[in-house]
Amino acid sequence: MPVLNTRVNGKTVQKEIKPTTLLVAFLRDGMGLTGTHVGCDTSQCGACVVHVDGVAVKSCTMLALQAEGADIQTIEDLAGDDGTLHPVQQAFQKHHALQCGFCTPGMIMASVALLSANPRPSPAQIRHGLEGNICRCTGYQNIVNAVLDASGQLGG
Amino acid sequence: MNRVKIGQSVPRVEDQRFVTGRGRYIDDIDFPDQAHGMALRSPHAHARILSVDLSEAQNLSGVLFCFSGQDWADEGFGPLPTKSAVRTNSDGTDFKEPPRSCMAVDRARHVGEIVAFVVAETRATAIAALELIVVDYDPLDAITDPVAALQPGAVQIWDDIPNNLCIDWDLGDKTATDDAFARADHVVCLDLINNRVTAAPIEPRGAIAQYHTDSDTYTLHNATQNIHANRDIFATNVLHIANENLHHLAPDVGGGFGAKNGAYPEPALVLYAARKVGRPVKWINDRSESFLSDTHGRDQVSRVELALKGDGTFLALRTDSIGNLGSHCATVGPFTISGGSARTQGGPYGFEAMHYRGRGVFTNVALIDPYRGAGRPEASYQTERIIEYAARKLGFDPVELRRKNLIPPERLPLKTAMGLDVDCGNFPHVFEQTLAMTNRRSYGDRVTKSAASGNARGFAISPYLECTGGSPKEFVKIDFRADGQVDMSVGSQSTGMGHETALPQILASQLGLPLSDITFTQADTNATPLGGGHGGSRGLELGGNAVFQVANAIVVAGKSVAGHIFDLPADQVEFADGRFFVPDSNHNLSIREVIDASLDADHLPDTIDPQCMNRNSTFERGIISIPNGCHAAEVEVDLETGRVTIDGYWVVDDFGTIINPMLADGQVMGGIAQGIGQALLEDIKYDPQSGQLLSGSFLDYAMPRADHIPTMEIGYYEGAPTKKNPLGVKGAGEAGCVGAPPAIVNAVLDALQEFAVDHLDMPLTSEKVWQAVKGNVAK
Ligand code: FES
Ligand code: FES
Repeated sequence: MPVLNTRVNGKTVQKEIKPTTLLVAFLRDGMGLTGTHVGCDTSQCGACVVHVDGVAVKSCTMLALQAEGADIQTIEDLAGDDGTLHPVQQAFQKHHALQCGFCTPGMIMASVALLSANPRPSPAQIRHGLEGNICRCTGYQNIVNAVLDASGQLGG
Repeated sequence: MNRVKIGQSVPRVEDQRFVTGRGRYIDDIDFPDQAHGMALRSPHAHARILSVDLSEAQNLSGVLFCFSGQDWADEGFGPLPTKSAVRTNSDGTDFKEPPRSCMAVDRARHVGEIVAFVVAETRATAIAALELIVVDYDPLDAITDPVAALQPGAVQIWDDIPNNLCIDWDLGDKTATDDAFARADHVVCLDLINNRVTAAPIEPRGAIAQYHTDSDTYTLHNATQNIHANRDIFATNVLHIANENLHHLAPDVGGGFGAKNGAYPEPALVLYAARKVGRPVKWINDRSESFLSDTHGRDQVSRVELALKGDGTFLALRTDSIGNLGSHCATVGPFTISGGSARTQGGPYGFEAMHYRGRGVFTNVALIDPYRGAGRPEASYQTERIIEYAARKLGFDPVELRRKNLIPPERLPLKTAMGLDVDCGNFPHVFEQTLAMTNRRSYGDRVTKSAASGNARGFAISPYLECTGGSPKEFVKIDFRADGQVDMSVGSQSTGMGHETALPQILASQLGLPLSDITFTQADTNATPLGGGHGGSRGLELGGNAVFQVANAIVVAGKSVAGHIFDLPADQVEFADGRFFVPDSNHNLSIREVIDASLDADHLPDTIDPQCMNRNSTFERGIISIPNGCHAAEVEVDLETGRVTIDGYWVVDDFGTIINPMLADGQVMGGIAQGIGQALLEDIKYDPQSGQLLSGSFLDYAMPRADHIPTMEIGYYEGAPTKKNPLGVKGAGEAGCVGAPPAIVNAVLDALQEFAVDHLDMPLTSEKVWQAVKGNVAK
């Protein structure tokens, strides 16, 4: 079996894996990082979004071996080492931008990437930017507000 | 977060783990030595199963156990029963319940029905083994349309159920309704379809079963929203074991909306498999399997008739609805097309008489069970569509026609013609409050502006009347621990609604305890002796009131403990803001001090039980509550493309007492989004000939995304807390979904007035709207 050399949440990882292993399966089953979720089998829902070299990627659309040499970040690594939540995580809680929480890790990772590409997005840009992530619970409005707030656009 | 109150938007406790990826959903759980199960599902909508050959699959390395429907039947397991509260036809005979075996034995009746099951070392091996199973099918003609299925000579789903008719039921006064129609000045009639949709919680269903040889008992972790009722079904009805020998629990559940409410076959199959292989067995549905095998919602074909006086006063409403139940009765099954759709017919309007007839019909498609609202969205759609249609046909202003017919508060309490006990509310006030939010004054300008850019604008207002449902009892247990922690165990269940915050919030508010002291447990048959789970917007109505009630009992017990310490009779002790005290004295203790004293058996007299403040309580609902409210929508239709944009959305809800406004808003918005999804996008479509599911993935089934959902403005009317329960709550979970579809559809049809489109069935996709604009509407 081939060996994957990569970095996951800041730690160097070397692991033998089957060449057909999807990145999401590697993270969940291989690394025990179950915060990255699987909500579909057609790359439509976005519950599996992680960052690969800082870019939001649906981890169900990528083979783990394609992450050779890459830097992978999952939801588990977003808060500070002392447990301080990332501003997007904080804003999600403050604005009730999650209910069942199943879409949330993917939604937060997608939002963080969106804000690093566009630090002051308009509501329309947020809605458009999160098009790849389905949330069945919230009706999205609070997610939009959370992202606006995390980008410092809501005042208070 | 310390002192919290009822009515405060307390941020959610559970979010801490959800935003950090530490939620624990079914697929996040693994047990040592666990095996994996996968189902082989019928590719045919209707076929005889001549043989199932498992030998090759069985021989694949890594396969532990395979079984077919026949093997399952040979074990003597019972079918999954329907628990429908309505069980008789209107002529008094029993409804028809065909056996719903967990596996198809000699005939498959819808695509996705389970034909065989494989358990293997890994999921990949199980999937590989499915490929090796050889099933000899003899395909039969299939039928998917419930109206066609009722016709003589139609394909028979069940040999002994003529015309595929499960139930033919009615409610209301038929004679009085006929009489009102006979003397009406105006009668209008509309045929409409409430499209089949799927709840599609983002977490697919899954379960893990364990069998404990030494005790001959089972543990089932299951992504379900109804732990106790389904435990009883799996134990008593299917496996024929004692209920207490099955420990059923749910971890974090990633949404349910009704689709995780019923008892499904797969958990029963893994229970059996776990015993056979002597190892834990895990099964997780794929999304594709979820589309095929989750229960769907809605799917009714209805004729609605409204009788009016010349001045627009409503006289009577008549609805005749045919519900497509799918191939079997699901757990709630025929209740949705009968009682579920009947009770709120007519909405918040006055009628002399109403009559509802509901027929449930079997076809070769997946089963119908509750989906957020379970009949009330259908009733609301039927009522509001016929009113809008009548206004157009008869030349009334739709806003005025509604205003004229709303039941005024001075007529409450009343029993509606459907027998619904409406105790309180102020429908006209809620209506005007909604209308006031909609910037009606500048509406004309917006219409002109839209027209200038080649678009058409439409508006609709849509009051609704709701009722709660679900299991009528709820249990809560409070244990104060010596280390200061408070354990709360409840039988109601959140699958995202936030009970982990809202229920402790009630206890903390009543007792003046810090919220952070309370540890919450739900969805565990070992933690509570009974539990109604989730469904029918019952969370606060049942669970919330159970907590409220137990808090009162704790205060009573605390007074006797405090009285002992103060050396005064308990009836002189008062309690407020977390303190027991005697007025005009220096006797004053915090609740924590009194709890600690109550746990200290050595210093209590014999007359006081040292466990006296550790209480449990069962709350039982008397009469169901009546949430109500009003939605309004403004839409713009792009006449070039048919695309509908929702430009404004307003809602005012009367949910009685609001415990946590932020969570209530969340319920309203999520429900509206699902209602918008049904109105504009979502459609479960089967090929009418083959019975194949055409919208079987998120590629083909259009889920609402952030771009589709507008900003919603939400208001509440809090002037009428119900007296039906001590908290005064009416239920909030389903209302959004009840009000939204007619608001959206009526607004789009308003925009299309100049194109003389009387009606369009949901979903109002761009193509459908564009065809209507082009005049290509079949009538
Ligand atoms: S799991 Fe749905 S997009 Fe990856
Ligand atoms: S919070 Fe449940 S799917 Fe988004």
